[in-house]
Amino acid sequence: MMGYMLGDLPSFDPHNFSQLRPSDPSNPSKVVPTTYRPTHSRTSPPPDQVITTEAKNILIRNFYQRAEEKLRPKRAATEHPTPEHGCKQPRASTTWS
Amino acid sequence: MFKTNNVTSRIFERQIRTPAPGTSVHSARRFYENLVPSFTIYDVECPDHSFFKFTDDGQYFVCFSRNRQDLIVYRPTWLSFSCKGEDCDNNQELPPQVKRFESFFTQLYVKPLASCNELICKDFFLYMESNQFGIFATSTAQIQDARGTDGAILGVPSFEKITIHLFRLEDGFKLDEKVFHNDCVNLTHNMGAFLYDDLLAVVSLRYQTIHILQIRDSGNLVDVQAIGAYCREDDELFINSSSQLAGNRGDLVDNGTNHDQPNSNNSFLSGIKQRLLSFIFREIWSEETDQTQRVQCLKKKFYFHFQDYVDLVILKASRNTDQLPAFFAVYNMETTEIVAFYQNAADELYLLFERFCDHFHATSINSMYMNFISSHSNNIHALEQLKSMKNKATSISQFVKKMLSSLPLNCQSMSPSPYFDQSLFRFDEKLISATNRPRQSTDHPIRFNSRRQGDILKFKIKTGPEFGSADGRSKKYSHFLFHPVWPLALSFIQPSLFLPPSAVNIHFRR
Repeated sequence: MMGYMLGDLPSFDPHNFSQLRPSDPSNPSKVVPTTYRPTHSRTSPPPDQVITTEAKNILIRNFYQRAEEKLRPKRAATEHPTPEHGCKQPRASTTWS
Repeated sequence: MFKTNNVTSRIFERQIRTPAPGTSVHSARRFYENLVPSFTIYDVECPDHSFFKFTDDGQYFVCFSRNRQDLIVYRPTWLSFSCKGEDCDNNQELPPQVKRFESFFTQLYVKPLASCNELICKDFFLYMESNQFGIFATSTAQIQDARGTDGAILGVPSFEKITIHLFRLEDGFKLDEKVFHNDCVNLTHNMGAFLYDDLLAVVSLRYQTIHILQIRDSGNLVDVQAIGAYCREDDELFINSSSQLAGNRGDLVDNGTNHDQPNSNNSFLSGIKQRLLSFIFREIWSEETDQTQRVQCLKKKFYFHFQDYVDLVILKASRNTDQLPAFFAVYNMETTEIVAFYQNAADELYLLFERFCDHFHATSINSMYMNFISSHSNNIHALEQLKSMKNKATSISQFVKKMLSSLPLNCQSMSPSPYFDQSLFRFDEKLISATNRPRQSTDHPIRFNSRRQGDILKFKIKTGPEFGSADGRSKKYSHFLFHPVWPLALSFIQPSLFLPPSAVNIHFRR
C-alpha cells in the first residue's frame, strides 16, 4: 500500500500540502500534517535582512580593521575603560626601530 | 569518504555514495593515492634544452634553447606502444623507445624570442590559463655604469632594454610586447611581476613605478596605469598646470619615452611615497615628529602583489641584505590610499600570514586548482610543520623575519600537483616541495608516504640508480618538475647549479 507519500512529516503552516491528494484515491489518508509554531520570535531574522557575500576577502578586511583602529583618535584610558571593540586578542607591537 | 584503499572498490563506491558537501574535489583527489608515478626511467635521451616548467593546466611544457634565444614548447602526451606476441600483459620489459624524451612529449614549435644582443630570462614565465597566453621576458645585458637620470634612483642596476612578450602558446604566435628602457625589473622567479586574471603588474625598480597592463582577449597588452610618481591618471596634468602658473619649476620639456617621470628638479616626492609618508605620519602623530623625519630619509624599493584588481595592490619594500630594514605596505589602487604598513618583522603581520597565507597568494576565481595547493593556512599537517619550525628556531624574531621575507608571495610559483598535497602524502620538504628550486640531491630515494593509510610508503622518487658513494665528494643538485594533473614527473641532476643537467629521469605510472 502506497499510503500518503509524505507520511507524517510536520510543517509550520497547516495550509501547506492541503491541496495534495494521495496517490491512491480509494484510500484517502489524513493530509493535514502536524503543525509546529514557534513560541517566541527571538530567533527570527529581521524582515528586511539581505544576506550577501562580503566582497573583500578576510585578509583585506583585517588590514582595514587594524588601520581603522590605529587611526582612530586616541582617548584617555580613564574615560573609556571598556575596549572599543569586543575583540580580546592582544595587539602586537608594530613599531619600527 | 572511501572505506577501502583498493582502486576498483573505490570506483564502485564513487558510483553509489556522494561525498560530504563541498568536498567533491578532495574526494576525487584521493584517487591519486592509487595512481602514483612509481616507475622510473633513468637517463632519458633528451634534446639539449633548458627545461623550464609545465603550464598549470598541464597543456604545455615550456623550454628555452640552451643559448637562451629561442622558445620551445612541447605538448605532454603519454607513452604509447604496441606489443607483438603472446604474453604482452606480463611482459616486464618496456620497448627501447621509452628512453626517449619524445615518447612523452611532442614538440609543437620553436620560436625565436630574444634578438641577438638579448637573452631570455630563464626564470620568468607567467601563464594566463583562460586564453592559453604565456608571458616571457628578455633583456639585454646590464649596463655597467648606470647614471642616475630622469628620476631613476641610484643603487639599482640598469638594463638597456627589458621586454615583456605575450605569446599565444597554442601555436607560438607572438601577440604583443612591452618594452622598458634603461630600467631594472627583478625577473627571477617571477618576483617583479604579478598576474591576476587579465591584469599584469610589473615593478620598475629603477623608476619606482608599478606599471599595470591589461591583457585583452585580442592579445593586446594595454597600459592601464602607472603608479609611482603619480597615483591617479590626472595627477600629472594637475601638477603641470599648477606649476606653470606658479612658475617655480624647472624645465618641463618632455623627458622622452617615460612621461610620468618626475623632473630631477622636482621638489615633490613621488605620489606614492607621499601617500605612504602621510599614512605613517597619521599613525604616529601623537608621538614626536622626529621619527617622521627619520622615516623620510629611508630609501625604499617596492615590489608588489595583487589582491583584488579593483581594490588593492600590496607593495613590499625589500632589500637584498638582511641588515637593512624591509617593509610591507598595502595600497588601495582605487582610493589611492595606503591601508597598512608594517616592518617585516612585525608580529601582527606574522599572525596574519600564519592564518591567512592563502590570501597572500591572491588567486583569481578562475583558477580552481590554486585553492587546493597545501599551505599552512589550509592544511593541518603543514601548520604543524610550521609550528615545529617555530619552536625549534633559536630566535623568534629571526624566524618571523625569515617567513615574512617571502611576502608578497611570487605569482605561480608553486606546483599544483596533487602529489604535493599534504593531506594525501607525507614527504621530506627539504628534499622536494611544491616550489621548484634546485636542492642538494641525496643518494637515497625520496619517499612519499600516505597520510591517511597509516603512513605506508606509496611511491619513491629515485634520482639515480642507487650506487655506493664511490664519488662521495661530488655534490649534486636535483630539481623536479611535476605534471600538474598526471602521474608524471621529471627529475634533473646537475653537478653544479650553473651547469646543465647531467641526467634527466622520467617518473610515471606504468
